Amino acid sequence: MKLVKGFLPACIITLMVVLGCDTIDCTLNNTVVMVSNIYQDGKAVEINDTLSITNPDASVVLLNSKTDASNLKLVLSYFQPVDTLVLTITGDGYQFEDTLWIEKTSYNHFESPDCPVNMFHHITEVRSTHVFIDSVSITQPDVNFAEHENLQIHLYSSAD
Amino acid sequence: MKIFRFICILLLISLASPIVLGQNKKNNASKEKAPLLSGVGVGVDLCGLAMKGVGARFANMEVCGRVGLKEKFFPIFEIGIGDCTRYGGETTNVFSTRAPYWRIGMDYNVNKKVNGNRFLVGFRYGFSTYKYDFSAPDFKDPVYGTYAPLELEGLKGNNQWLELCVGFETRLWSIVRLGYNIRYKTRTLQSVSEMGEPYFVPGFGKNDNNAFGGTVYVTFDVGKSAHLKGGKGLFGKHKGKKEETNKEQETPPAESAPRAAKRRQN
Repeated sequence: MKLVKGFLPACIITLMVVLGCDTIDCTLNNTVVMVSNIYQDGKAVEINDTLSITNPDASVVLLNSKTDASNLKLVLSYFQPVDTLVLTITGDGYQFEDTLWIEKTSYNHFESPDCPVNMFHHITEVRSTHVFIDSVSITQPDVNFAEHENLQIHLYSSAD
Repeated sequence: MKIFRFICILLLISLASPIVLGQNKKNNASKEKAPLLSGVGVGVDLCGLAMKGVGARFANMEVCGRVGLKEKFFPIFEIGIGDCTRYGGETTNVFSTRAPYWRIGMDYNVNKKVNGNRFLVGFRYGFSTYKYDFSAPDFKDPVYGTYAPLELEGLKGNNQWLELCVGFETRLWSIVRLGYNIRYKTRTLQSVSEMGEPYFVPGFGKNDNNAFGGTVYVTFDVGKSAHLKGGKGLFGKHKGKKEETNKEQETPPAESAPRAAKRRQN
């Protein structure tokens, strides 16, 4: 009979345990950015001049007048198959522009109803004009939370 | 989270210990032998129905069927429907799923006496193949600033897991039994869409490597266990009772006191 008497409290405790626990586990680093590093003569370098990056199709400034830029973290569009980026280097009395086309496929990524939804990307091809950019190579095509180096932007050699 | 687990383990031990300790005192009492097939039962989980009734975020509604072997081993099969519709607390996202799940396993009755009470420890192997939906009405492109409602439907998932169960059940009246158990679940296999993991897995609960759960079962048990005081089971002879009866028959009748005195004088 004692066991039966203890039954109701046990049921209530069970219900409390089942109903009462909930946690929100969103990833702390929840921004998806494409990481690009700038190289010259095979080494990672900084651009001493001012660098700006815009997306002319969206009329958006992605990077505004950054000096000593070496590591670029840029967001990509969610629904466009190609992102067009215009890189402008402004120095003392000169200005150069190059355009970068990034072709990609995008897919949704969610973790929980409580967390913001993101879009991951897979870079398929990169093209550019060649004013000050020599070449662009893809080192890691998957753009996600990891923030690995995705692109290497090689500038023309300092000897040129 | 570790503290929560620790508290739950303590809770399990505290629930279990009075029953086990209580049994040790009574184990010296007469032991009854149950037949090999001591009964069959079907049950329904009240906990899942209650959670659905009070509008909880998710609920596992299930029924079970089991067989009793010697009143010790209880192979069990559970089938149910997991239902979840979860709205984001600080977002407008919605996750939903509704799918069946199955569990098979075995309970072992630690109670050495056949007295209608069962203290059960056991395990389950559970699996579920399901589809889930996820929607985000305010999905915004960070570059263009445009909104495009996200509707992901019919994402496929498949989970398998193991459960360790501790529980207690007692006979209410006739064939009706009431019991509860608490379960520690650990995921063994998961296959989900690369777009995202489900918030809830039918039968398992909130999707994680481990989870706690519980059931409160009303079981209709037919067999020896339902007729403890009546003696004979439906699926076999009650050995214990029969042996006791034979023993009684073998014992010679008591001699009356005057006759014994007369015999001593002779």
